[in-house]
Amino acid sequence: MNYFVPIRSVLSTVVYPIQTMAALPKDISDWVANYFQSQRQLKEKNTELEATNLLNSVRLQRLKALERENIRLRKLLGSSFRLRERVLVAELLTIDLDPSYQQVVIDKGQRYDVFVGQPVLDATGVMGQVTEVNPFSSRVVLLTDPSHAIPVQVNRNGLRSIATGWGLGESLQLENLPHNADVRIGDSLVTSGLGGRFPVGYPVGTVVSVNFPQGKAFAEIGVKPAAQLSTSREVLLVLPAKMVEISKKSPDTDTETETETETETETETETEAEAEAEAEAER
Amino acid sequence: MAENQKSHGGIIIFTIVFAMLLMLLPLPDSLRFFRPEWVLITLIYWAMAVPRLVGVGFAWVVGLLMDVMMGGAMGVLAFSYTLVIYLVLQFHLQLRQYPLWQQALSILSLVLLVDIVTVLVSPTMAGWHVWLPAVSSTVLWPVMYSLLRTVRRTFNVS
Repeated sequence: MNYFVPIRSVLSTVVYPIQTMAALPKDISDWVANYFQSQRQLKEKNTELEATNLLNSVRLQRLKALERENIRLRKLLGSSFRLRERVLVAELLTIDLDPSYQQVVIDKGQRYDVFVGQPVLDATGVMGQVTEVNPFSSRVVLLTDPSHAIPVQVNRNGLRSIATGWGLGESLQLENLPHNADVRIGDSLVTSGLGGRFPVGYPVGTVVSVNFPQGKAFAEIGVKPAAQLSTSREVLLVLPAKMVEISKKSPDTDTETETETETETETETETEAEAEAEAEAER
Repeated sequence: MAENQKSHGGIIIFTIVFAMLLMLLPLPDSLRFFRPEWVLITLIYWAMAVPRLVGVGFAWVVGLLMDVMMGGAMGVLAFSYTLVIYLVLQFHLQLRQYPLWQQALSILSLVLLVDIVTVLVSPTMAGWHVWLPAVSSTVLWPVMYSLLRTVRRTFNVS
C-alpha cells in the first residue's frame, strides 16, 4: 500500500493550488474585515490581549516552578522526565472537504519537517494528528473522525481510557469503561501520553454525558472536545520533546545540563528562585 | 485544426477546475450537506455534449484528483466517475433527446450511483445526509445544463 504514498503526494501537490484558490474568498473577506477595523476596536482588543497576556505569564511562572519541582521529585524517584515541547504554528486552509471524514488541510508540509503522526493542538486543546504530509501542505485528522482514537485520563483521579471519534457532531466517546467507573459529568480529560504519540497533559475535552445502559457491558460516556475544531484558524504542531535521563547523572551536573537545554535559561533560574522564596514564605 | 482542438480542451478543463473550486468552497454548516456534485455534473454534461473530447480516461483522471483533493480513499471517485461517464457515453444520444426534467432524473440515478459506491467503500456508518447531494444536483441540473450549453456555444466546442 505504501507504493501509493508518493503518488498521492504528487497529486496533492497538483491540487494544492486549487485548494488555496478555493480558500481565497474567505481569506480576502477576513483581510478586508481586519483592514477596516476601527481604532477603538483595535485598542479594546489590545487591552484585552494585554490583560490575558499578564494573567498567562503569571500562571506560566507558577507552572515553571512546578515543572522544576516535578523534575526534582522525579530525580529522587530516579525516573526520566520529558521536557516541555516546542511547537510550530500552522494555519488551516478554509476549505470544505468530504463531510464523511473529519479532516482539515494545513499550510505547512515537508518543507517544515512535518511528519505523519505529529500531534496538532489549538489554543484550547488537542485537535488531532497529521495523517498525510505533502511538500506544501499536510492533512490533519481531527479527534472527531470515526477512525481516530486518543489515549486519555481523567484529570480528577487519573482513570485511563481511550476517546474515539464519532463522526458528525462534535462528540467523542470513552471506550470500554465498566459501569462502576468513576466518571462524572464535568470531568476534564487530558492526554495520558500512553501510546507515545501525544504529549502528556494536554486537555482533550470535558465529559458531557454519562449513561450506564442496562444489559450492556460498558458505560456510554460522551465527551465534548476542548479544542475549537470548527472555528480555529491557527494550529500548533508539536515537535518531539527531548527526553532527559536523570537517573544516570550526578545531581549537580544534571541541573546544569537541564537548564542548558531550555531556551530561556535566565527566566528559568529566576522562577526557581521565586519558587524557593515562595516555599519559604509558606513556611 | 489542432490548435482549435486545444482551446476546446482548455475550456472543458477550465469548467472542471471551476467546479472543483465550488466543491471546496466553505459553506455554512446548514448547507454543507446539500452541496451538489459540481464536478460530476459538469463531467456528465461534457460527456453528453462532446463525447469525442471527454472519455472514460479523462473521467478517471478527474476522479483521482477529486479523491486526493477531498481527502477520501484514493480511487473511489476515480472508479465511480469512470462508471458514470461510461454509462453516459453509452446512452448520450438518448440523453440528448430527453426533455430537461427527464434528463434531471437520469442525473439523479447517476449521482446516486456515485453515492452508493462511496457509501459501500466508506469506513463509517452512513447517515441520511449522504443522499442529499444527489437531490441538490438533480434540482440544479436544468440551470447547469443551460449554463454549460451557453459556454459550449460561446466557445464553439463540438
